[in-house]
Amino acid sequence: MTVESAAEVPSPAIAPPSRRRSLRGGGPLRGDDFLTLAGFTDVPTATPGTMRPGALRGSARGRDLDSLAHTLFLRIYPVIAVVVLATQIGIAWVNYNDSLRLYTERANLLATLTAQAIARPDWSERPDVYKTQIQALTLDPAFRFVRAWNADGGLVMALGDMPGGRSLELIRASTEITVPDRAKPVGSLTLGLSAEALRGNAEKQAVLALGASLVLMLAFVLTLHANVRRHVLAPLKRLLIAMREVEHKRWSTVELEGAVRASNEIDVISSAFNRMVEGLRTGDEAKQLLTELELAHAKLADANRLVMESIGYARRIQTSVLPDRMALAGAGLDVAVLWEPLHQVGGDYFWLERLDEVSVIVVADCTGHGVPGAFITLIVATALDRILHERGLRSPAEILSALDEMVRAQLRQDGRGSESDDGLDCGLCIWDPAARRLSFAGAGISLTTVTQAGMTRIKGEKRGLGYPRHGSERQGNERFRTETVTLDVAPGDTFYLMTDGITDQMGTTGGQRRLLGHRGVSDILLRSRDEELGPQIKTLETELAAYRGAENRRDDMTLIAFRPTNLA
Amino acid sequence: MDRIQISATDRSPRVDFDFASGRFQLSGESYPEDAAAFFGPLLQSLRTYLAAAASEPIVFEVELAYFNSSSAKALMNLFMPLEDAAGEGRAVTIRWLFTKGDETIAEAGEDFASDFSHARFDLVETSQAEC
Repeated sequence: MTVESAAEVPSPAIAPPSRRRSLRGGGPLRGDDFLTLAGFTDVPTATPGTMRPGALRGSARGRDLDSLAHTLFLRIYPVIAVVVLATQIGIAWVNYNDSLRLYTERANLLATLTAQAIARPDWSERPDVYKTQIQALTLDPAFRFVRAWNADGGLVMALGDMPGGRSLELIRASTEITVPDRAKPVGSLTLGLSAEALRGNAEKQAVLALGASLVLMLAFVLTLHANVRRHVLAPLKRLLIAMREVEHKRWSTVELEGAVRASNEIDVISSAFNRMVEGLRTGDEAKQLLTELELAHAKLADANRLVMESIGYARRIQTSVLPDRMALAGAGLDVAVLWEPLHQVGGDYFWLERLDEVSVIVVADCTGHGVPGAFITLIVATALDRILHERGLRSPAEILSALDEMVRAQLRQDGRGSESDDGLDCGLCIWDPAARRLSFAGAGISLTTVTQAGMTRIKGEKRGLGYPRHGSERQGNERFRTETVTLDVAPGDTFYLMTDGITDQMGTTGGQRRLLGHRGVSDILLRSRDEELGPQIKTLETELAAYRGAENRRDDMTLIAFRPTNLA
Repeated sequence: MDRIQISATDRSPRVDFDFASGRFQLSGESYPEDAAAFFGPLLQSLRTYLAAAASEPIVFEVELAYFNSSSAKALMNLFMPLEDAAGEGRAVTIRWLFTKGDETIAEAGEDFASDFSHARFDLVETSQAEC
């Protein structure tokens, strides 16, 4: 066998199911023919062992729907036929017996009447006289024969042929010819009547019974078929079609009202089927939705991972722009830093640097947080670097003015047309250890001091740095100007620069939901004033978290605490 | 003009600009990711409303528990045309509500108040619990 011919052998999945049509070869459409006409074909599947889509169809199709009527017929009809036949035979048997009895009685009566008519003591001597009496018997259509014997047994008269032996078709009636005066009979008479008519009747009845059975069978077959087709097959076919549709995920239900009348059970099945389809449909929809949701979720997770990776990278860049926290070590300052962006990176920025004889401490809060805020911090970092190193400014107020100018120039807020409405709050301190003087200037950020005298807050300018100056003069169309505040420092004095993210902690206190505020933060700092700066900042962080409770943080947080040392 | 009513979210305030009665309200918290996008349309509507020649008194009520610096800028931008309108003779009242003991919001109110010279700016302490 060649390979090609082997390939031509149809696979079992697509081979037409073998059916025997011997009984009803050219009969009406079968259930599956119907379905084929409706456009449904089996889906071939290459991999064995997997559940193929047409698995349901296989079982439904293999059983020819029309064979239901056939089976019903084969099961029910013999019973009915046997009952009908037995009934007919019984009736025929009773009829036959009745007729036979009537015939026998008739034969006996005829024989008795004839015998009485010829009963004379000398009847056998004069047969001519009585012959007419006996001949009258031949008038009976059923007459076959008659024999008359005298007292001695001698045959006196014989009419017709007397068959030998017994015959079913013959009824014999024998009687003795008696005369009242004599004790002994004077002869005997035997009459034979034909029962042929009876047999004819019986035969006719048998034929009738057979015919009735046949007619009954025909009527039964037709009625059964019509009813099964109408009440069972038609709705079943619709169910099958619907099932096949459902197999292909076309959610069709079965409506049996109208053209097809279903029996009650099929109605029940149909409603159950419809409910099942509805359940499958919603289940399938839910499954699809879930799949889509999972897909969307995966995409989101992917996107989120990308963004988080990107922001993680951005954080590395931002932290590398920030100064070493030990930058002022050896400059006669204890410094502790809290820098905590809300989202990995942020708009808060700080700078620590020792420049010749002085130390610079800067805290800035740029507009926005997250990545947008971080962009501004880079501009601020660059500008500050140029101000401190190229221009060599050392006055806090001058530094802030210069910063304002440079940020506005960088963001094109100085009238060259810009969409930027950004800026920053900034607090800047310069510590001169030789003079034991701390100078401060602020724009939107204040300096909090804790001294022997207690806690004070030196507010900077209200207005921030940057921001375009168009519009109202109230916003100040002119350059940023402020005064430097100079403080004489005593041993133990501690200073704090903080962004508003530190003070703007939302929490509930005394049943009121409000911000912690500067006073709240100051209270915490005062309570922990005896701690070293590092631990004190840890304490502050913990207390801030406790105040927030379930609330989220609102902003980036930055706080720099510093305390001049070696002030003998 | 159609009344503007926006429900509060956890990051943006409830807005109720009832132009017909001249009552404006902002309440809740305000720290949207993009403050300009949130407040821009409000500012536009307010400007349009003020440009129309009407003279009924205006009451602008702000009751914010928290706002970030971008929102502060946006509030300033909302207040400027109101002050201008007051300067032109319109009766404008700003009611700045703050919870008792909330010095941050009170201070911010004071800062804003100092910018007004024509409009009336009331600092109103409230004591009812929000929750």
